[in-house]
Amino acid sequence: MSVNAAFLRHFRNRRFLSKMAATLCVKLLPKQGWLPLTQSVRHGSKAVTRHKRPMHFIKQKLMAVTEYIPPAPAAPPGAYPRETKSVQEETPLMLILKRNLEKVFQDCKMIAVVQDSSSSAEDMMSLRHRLHKHDIKVKFFPNEVMRSFLNNSIYCNMAPLIFGPTVLIVSNEPKVKEMLKTLRGSPQMTLLGACIENSLLSAEGVLSYSKLPSVTVVQGELVSGLTMMTSRTASLLQRHPAHLSALLQQYVKQQGTDATAEEAT
Amino acid sequence: MAASRKATVVLKTVKKIAIQFSAFESNVRSTREFLAKVGSEKARATNINCEVISTVKHDKSEPVVDITYVDGERLLMKGAKLTSSEMLNTFQSLCTAKDPQAKTAAKK
Repeated sequence: MSVNAAFLRHFRNRRFLSKMAATLCVKLLPKQGWLPLTQSVRHGSKAVTRHKRPMHFIKQKLMAVTEYIPPAPAAPPGAYPRETKSVQEETPLMLILKRNLEKVFQDCKMIAVVQDSSSSAEDMMSLRHRLHKHDIKVKFFPNEVMRSFLNNSIYCNMAPLIFGPTVLIVSNEPKVKEMLKTLRGSPQMTLLGACIENSLLSAEGVLSYSKLPSVTVVQGELVSGLTMMTSRTASLLQRHPAHLSALLQQYVKQQGTDATAEEAT
Repeated sequence: MAASRKATVVLKTVKKIAIQFSAFESNVRSTREFLAKVGSEKARATNINCEVISTVKHDKSEPVVDITYVDGERLLMKGAKLTSSEMLNTFQSLCTAKDPQAKTAAKK
């Protein structure tokens, strides 16, 4: 037992190249630079302590230099909008709808954009019925299809009108008055704008368009205005001789009356 | 702020809503959405006497929502920089403030 204890004590006191030595026996070094196989540690400071063991200064410096710097936290995925907008492929349904839209734009002279915030099915049915009497059709198209079509065509300025619940009212003939009368019957339809004969009009523009007289009347007005100008110049030129002749006529008349007055007296 | 369970707007305390905007501007989106929600059939059904009038102009003016309540108070909202949900929240909070009895009775 005592031999075991002594053996253990021997091992405990001499660590086998595992810890730094408190005392090194010089005579155990066979050559320069060779560490001994056993190093005597009589009462070394322990590695694991209850307080924080002061690091060697060089170790402190090393730890300070190699400290962990965590990477900066990236913004959460939804914080910033995407820089490049992902272009979605156009579904075949969209292509069909686009073709329909193109046909509509080519055929119809009048295309009005109306926002209806509320229309029950019956209201819509009655409105469609009333408009159908004047050969005006009501069409629905999804907003994205409309916008993508408009942006690629010459009607790009209509694009800001297409927001929210919008309805297209189209007709071959520009029958604005009838359309306005029917729309006035349903209060929730708001006329936003119209494209009449490839020219974009606002709501007030549509109103003034409806108040325009027919083409013949306008032509007559134009012709009369032009002829008025020419007749005015003609009268101006002839003003002097006309005045002179009127004066002479008046003089002759007066001469005549004087002569008769003299004869009478 | 407790959001109402239904998305519909109750117009019982409102006398008149006048919305005007310039159709071709890009900042009218929220106002138009507000109009769509307030002018819907369900909202109108809550109060048939309430008028919802919308005017479309072309003079690049700001979109304005003018609400006149039954007790004479007016709420003016300039919708150029507001979102439709903000406008709806303000409008609904004022409505519930005006008519607390009916609301609490309905919720209980």
